[in-house]
Amino acid sequence: MFASTLRRFEGAPAAPARLRREAIDREIARDRAAPGLGLTLRGLSKSFDGGKPVIDGLDLHIPAGQFVAVVGRSGCGKSTLLRLILGLEAPSAGRVAVEGEGTPRPDAPRRIMFQEPRLLPWASVLDNVAVGLRGGTAAERRARAASALTEVGLAEKAEQWPATLSGGQRQRVALARALVSRPGMLALDEPLGALDALTRIDMQAMIERIWRAQGFTALLVTHDVAEAVALADRILVVESGRIALDVAVPVPRPRRRGDPELAALEGRILDHLLDGRG
Amino acid sequence: MSAISRPALPSPASVARRLAPWLLPAAILLGWQAAGSAGLVSTRLMPAPLDVAAAGWRLAETGELWTNLGVSFLRAASGFLIGGGIGFALGLANGLSRLSDSLTDTTVQMIRNIPHLSLIPLVILWFGIGEEAKLFLVALGVFFPIYANTLHGIRSVDPQLVEMGRIYGMSRPELFWRVVLPGALPSVFVGLRYALGIMWLTLIVAETISASSGLGYMAMQAREFMLVDVVVLAILIYALLGKVADLATRRLERACLAWNPAYRAA
Repeated sequence: MFASTLRRFEGAPAAPARLRREAIDREIARDRAAPGLGLTLRGLSKSFDGGKPVIDGLDLHIPAGQFVAVVGRSGCGKSTLLRLILGLEAPSAGRVAVEGEGTPRPDAPRRIMFQEPRLLPWASVLDNVAVGLRGGTAAERRARAASALTEVGLAEKAEQWPATLSGGQRQRVALARALVSRPGMLALDEPLGALDALTRIDMQAMIERIWRAQGFTALLVTHDVAEAVALADRILVVESGRIALDVAVPVPRPRRRGDPELAALEGRILDHLLDGRG
Repeated sequence: MSAISRPALPSPASVARRLAPWLLPAAILLGWQAAGSAGLVSTRLMPAPLDVAAAGWRLAETGELWTNLGVSFLRAASGFLIGGGIGFALGLANGLSRLSDSLTDTTVQMIRNIPHLSLIPLVILWFGIGEEAKLFLVALGVFFPIYANTLHGIRSVDPQLVEMGRIYGMSRPELFWRVVLPGALPSVFVGLRYALGIMWLTLIVAETISASSGLGYMAMQAREFMLVDVVVLAILIYALLGKVADLATRRLERACLAWNPAYRAA
């Protein structure tokens, strides 16, 4: 029942595929000159070993610089979607097009941050951040890594081993490593899932601040609807490999925690997710 | 009071902690000396520590001890380098290449199950009692622990870290030097410790059975002339050499694995 009212309210998911693709084409034309990298998926499918598709004929356009959150139940394919976009998996059908033409840096790197920090335990914090850089002299890389560490507030930890840091600090080092090369797109695969509530809130604020300053396209996969609503311009609900809901979050920034408009939106998305249980 | 006002002196607690491991060996030596002096133990079968020390002094003065020690050390080190080097290289190759693994691993596992000391008669027939026999046996004994632990170390490198390295555009050599090798190192060190134990064992057995120099030869010759003190001296030297090898490995581990909380110096 909730699902049907929502669908009427949103309109978009119920529209025929042809109209949807035309809308995508218009959007692409509009945001050619924006910073960051745009992204278009056409008929994207992925199945493992010929089984049931995890991603099932997905069409999507993400304008450059947008902050998109992807939510869904476990196993709905949201992490696979992210890995397809980053090129970590090859699609079974369809294609992923990253649009950089017309932007200042068409070959800007695409980076991903995982739930685990994945730091090299045998390298100092500074050297771990420098892993994100290619080319240049060692001195240049160290200088850039140091400034990225300053950006996440860990400059004084540069020479320590990762083992001496807390979980939140390690995740900030991973964020610095992802950002040090000034990516055009940053994918975040439940990056705050393993952190305590207060550290999460700090990290959310930090990610939002850096995103606004740098203008990269952000793709956040999360199971926390409140987090999605607090950070994103747009929320995609993924259900059995398709986009079941595509909602804009038209709340200006900086957003206040506990804003009634955000709470209402969060409630609607949760209702949709719970209703999908069947 | 004085210990607190003069921080240059180590605190009594830290002195006690440093001495604690040596209390038991010292007590055993004292008890042994007392038993020998009191005539409780026949010095013909078990000489007292002071007699052993005197034998050590005598052999050190003639230079016999240093010559034999040097010969044994050289054999141990060269056998270790050859066997360990081949084991490490093959462990790396089989950890990194599926082809190399499928070609060689089964053979290595079959040979591993032969006790290498059972080859002594064959080795004597092949090489006589020359240096090659000792080198061959030590190298063979050292090979397996280094091989198996290097292979295991490489296989157990965190695949998430390897994926991270790929995403960040590391080339294959870079991935090896910065991710795979450091990740395998703790396991390689486990192999190193095992190998050092096997190295001494093999060498002493080989020298005892067939040699014309070295510590094992020195002990065997002393037995012929009923020089029990020299036999005991040789055994004590083995114990000391084992301890020295262990200390050296520990130092190396602390230098190479400082990032790992389990190996950090206290």
